[in-house]
Amino acid sequence: MGVLSAVLRSLRRTTTISGLAVGALALSGCAGSSLDQSGSQGSGDEVKLGLLVPLSGVYAPLGEDMRDGFQLYLDQHGGRLGGKTVRVVTVDEGETPQTGVPAAQKLVTQDRVTAVVGVVNSATALGLRDFFHESKVPLLVANAGADAITGERSSPYVWRTSFANGKVGAALGPAVAEEVDGGVYLITADYAAGREMVGGFRKAFEAAGGKIAGEKYTPFGKTQDYQPYLSAIRNSGAKAVFSFYAGAEAVNFVKQYKQFGLADRIPLYGTGFLTEGGVLNAQGASAVGVKTSLHYSTELDTPINKAFVEAYRTKHGKAPTVYSVQAYDAAAALDKAIAKADGTGGEDIAEALGGIGTIDSPRGPWSFDADHDARQKYYLREVRSDGGSFVNAVLGELD
Amino acid sequence: MDTYLVTVLNGLAMGSLLFAIALGLSLVFGMMDVLNLAHGAIYLVGAYVAVALTGDGAGPAMFVAAVLAAAAAGAVLGGALAGMTRATPHHLDQALLTLGVALVVAESLTVVFGSDVHSLAAPAPLDGGVQILGQTYPVYRLLVIAFGAILALVVYRLVERSRLGAVIRATVADRAMVSALGIDTGRVLVGVFAAGAALAAVGGVLAGPILGAQPGLDEKVLLLALVVVVVGGLGSVRGALLGAVLIGQVQALGVALLPEYASFLLFAAMAAVLLMRPAGLLPAPTAVRA
Repeated sequence: MGVLSAVLRSLRRTTTISGLAVGALALSGCAGSSLDQSGSQGSGDEVKLGLLVPLSGVYAPLGEDMRDGFQLYLDQHGGRLGGKTVRVVTVDEGETPQTGVPAAQKLVTQDRVTAVVGVVNSATALGLRDFFHESKVPLLVANAGADAITGERSSPYVWRTSFANGKVGAALGPAVAEEVDGGVYLITADYAAGREMVGGFRKAFEAAGGKIAGEKYTPFGKTQDYQPYLSAIRNSGAKAVFSFYAGAEAVNFVKQYKQFGLADRIPLYGTGFLTEGGVLNAQGASAVGVKTSLHYSTELDTPINKAFVEAYRTKHGKAPTVYSVQAYDAAAALDKAIAKADGTGGEDIAEALGGIGTIDSPRGPWSFDADHDARQKYYLREVRSDGGSFVNAVLGELD
Repeated sequence: MDTYLVTVLNGLAMGSLLFAIALGLSLVFGMMDVLNLAHGAIYLVGAYVAVALTGDGAGPAMFVAAVLAAAAAGAVLGGALAGMTRATPHHLDQALLTLGVALVVAESLTVVFGSDVHSLAAPAPLDGGVQILGQTYPVYRLLVIAFGAILALVVYRLVERSRLGAVIRATVADRAMVSALGIDTGRVLVGVFAAGAALAAVGGVLAGPILGAQPGLDEKVLLLALVVVVVGGLGSVRGALLGAVLIGQVQALGVALLPEYASFLLFAAMAAVLLMRPAGLLPAPTAVRA
């Protein structure tokens, strides 16, 4: 503003040739620099990527894990993806679309990145779909789980290296139907992710012959005390509980499930986010015995995963989480796509992403399906105590 | 029926915590006309003091030490806030000032402790559960109820039955008159502010094993405390107690009886009270100056 008004004032004062020349020079300078930037996107040995993860607000722990996972892949490959040197621009997604959408728009319009990786909040991902679709810039969703992202709102430019809510829940359905003799109670936070996960579970569970003993949707982000709901579960006569919570709600729910004596009588099942990463550390011993479905666990007994966990621990000083792996794999997918693509324009990369085939990941081999969602294995995990710390032991694969 | 009795008990535990937290907010609001939006942040300071000192599974001695340390930290913060808010007489300036302090304090806590969710274990001997009416109930919550009852008694004696309390109540009712009697109202205000903040911080420690500590908890607690103050009435101990117990029950019993309306119950209760008694259920006399 200050610069602009100074230029205007100098123009008004000196209507001489030199004044106009300065103005013209300034204008051409602007145009030139923007041409330069769009030029660097299409050619050269460097590629600019945007990392859009929450670094503030309630999702910050997830965002930090994603950033660390993405960074680890880059470090392991000398800072290069597909033979090109990578420059990463990291921006804070924040908690809601009000912060996430403008942050993504800045990455694309101002920083002119080739592709964007990240997005935790599903509403942000859905809100950005049209923007990426029209800008023809690939968006690699590395967490947001709304079914619609790779369902009815899919786009050639939107890819997902993480999961769809419904599929994570559905994976556990048949296993619970087989293990539990009696009705199962469903409880989750009352918002889209909770309803999609429970909905996916319910469909698969009932198809496998399971019976529902009751269901409850607790106010999202407003419930600190679950005692009234836990009493209802006890009175329902359910033989098991299926639930999804994340963050502080997951900690409170699982701790209170133990404190009010339900854990000893009614086994608790859930999607893996219920006991993942920092949440599990906070739950501690209360979470022992909780069984969940997820596409990753640090305890997976494969050479790739062991090397990954070891490298991650060395680099970041803590165990990786599913969020780290999702971002790590987004880098892996881009690595293959950039190598295959004809250029480093958004359209080239988006097209190449369709042909990268299977990725050998710490989570096991996975690939993009026709809807651009991750086609992957899900594992049945159980929380166990492992010499003072707590881990999600892998009981087997779910199909 | 038994189920609901246990739920009532649980509502009492939450009410006890809310009373400890909301009391300071109510007295400061009623007395100084200062809406202290940093009250939730002070609560969070207490919760993180407990995280730092007790971590996982510390003994009762360490827990008591955490309570004392939190009280000291809260009193210092409260005293500082009292000093700052006296610099400006405008309500909006004061609200913005305390909001600013709240943001700075909460962000500093995130920088030091990280953005992860922290949980606290109750001190070792109180970690288990007891059987009440055939249901398991955590011993620690019973202790919280006892604490709430004792706190209510002590504060009631102090504020309603002692000379110091008479000065405090008089300052709420008419500050200028108390000042004219030769009493330094400034010191009374700073003292009450500091004591209220100390109670909020102690509430943070005591609520630790129930609510944990994480970024964003300060706002939730501040909102609940504000609802308690609005329902109970400004500047009165009895009002804060009644409001806290009522809101505790709305959140426990209300949710158990009308689960489908759980999201609205809290504010429906507040709206109902405001419709019938706009000054709250038990406001201090002339606490609200028209």
